[in-house]
Amino acid sequence: MIIASQKPLGEIMDMVEGAQKILILGCRGCVAVCSAGGDKEVRILASAVRLGRAKRGASVTIDEDTLVRQCDPEYLEGLNDRAKEYDCVVSMACGVGVNFVAERCPDVKVMPALNTTFYGANLSSGEWKEMCEGCGACVLHLTGGLCPVARCAKSLSNGPCGGSQGGRCEIDKDVPCVWHLIYERLHKFKEADRLEAIMPMRDWRPAGHGGPRHRMREDLLP
Amino acid sequence: MANMAKIVGFCCNYTSQVSKDVLEREGVIGEGVEFRRLPCTGRLEIPMLLDAFTEGAEAVFVAGCRIEGCHNKSGSLRASKRVKYAKALLEELGIDGARLEMFFTKRGSTADIVDAVKVMEDRIKS
Repeated sequence: MIIASQKPLGEIMDMVEGAQKILILGCRGCVAVCSAGGDKEVRILASAVRLGRAKRGASVTIDEDTLVRQCDPEYLEGLNDRAKEYDCVVSMACGVGVNFVAERCPDVKVMPALNTTFYGANLSSGEWKEMCEGCGACVLHLTGGLCPVARCAKSLSNGPCGGSQGGRCEIDKDVPCVWHLIYERLHKFKEADRLEAIMPMRDWRPAGHGGPRHRMREDLLP
Repeated sequence: MANMAKIVGFCCNYTSQVSKDVLEREGVIGEGVEFRRLPCTGRLEIPMLLDAFTEGAEAVFVAGCRIEGCHNKSGSLRASKRVKYAKALLEELGIDGARLEMFFTKRGSTADIVDAVKVMEDRIKS
C-alpha cells in the first residue's frame, strides 16, 4: 500500500493561516490502513488545528469528513460544490488524492496534510517498511522475490556492493543488505548460480524518468 | 487556599473512586480541577486530551491502573502510548508537553489522585 505520514503541525498551521472555515478530508484507502489519514487521524488533526488556532488567539470552524477514496472520481462527486463553503480543504489522502481533488474540483483550494513516502508493507502494528519503488520493470522473478530497486540503498542490479558487511548495509547497521538476502533466498532454492548472470542495464523510463506514467486498458474504457 | 488553575484529569472507573467535591471542600484540591470518568483509560482518545486544552485546561492528566494491574489487561498501557503521542503534538504546537502526564495509580487510591493533581499544579507554577 501507499505509506504516508502527517506533516509537522507547524507546517499545516502555516498552510491554513487565515482560513476561517476548513474541511479536513480523510481517505479510507491506503492512508487509513497505515494510520495516517483515516477517520481517526482526521479527528486528531481537527483537534490539533483547533488547539493550535486557539493558541494563536484566533478562532476557526472545522468540519470533518472521510471519503471512501480520494483517487476515484465517483467519490469526489459533489465535492466541488460542497467545498465552496470552505476557505480550504485539508486533504489527508496521499499525494494522488490531493492531485485528483485539485484536478477534479477546480473551485477547491486543497492543501496536503501528509507527506507521501513509499510503497510498503505492514510489519506490525505501527511499523511499515518500503518494499517496492513502482519502477515499472519488475525483476523479482530473478531475485528471489526481494526487490533490489527499492531495498538496496544504491538500487544495484548486480549486488552486493563492498559496503555489505555481515549481511548489513553500510548506510545503517539496522538495514539488512537486500543482496545478501537475495543470495540466501536463491541458495535455499539451489538457484544461487543465477547470480552469475549479469543483469543488463536497467531501462528507467518505466520508472517515471520518461515523464508522468499513464496506463490504459481499452476493454475497460467507457 | 488551593490552586484555582483549571486541570482536567481523565480517570478510569477503577481509579476515580474519589469524591472530587469532598476533596475540594476540604481544600485538598482547587476548584478548577475537573475529573472526567472513563470506563477504562484504554477508551481514551487523543482528541479528548487536545480538546481539554482547547477548552482552557492549563494541565491535563490521565490516571489509569498500574500497568500490571489494569482491569482490562492493557488499557492503561494503551492510554500511556496515546498520552506520549499527544505530548509530541503539543510540543509541535509550541505547548509544553509536561502540561500533560500519565499516572499509573493504585485502584481507589485517593492519595494517588491528589498527588497527580499536585504534580500538575506544580508544573503550571514552574
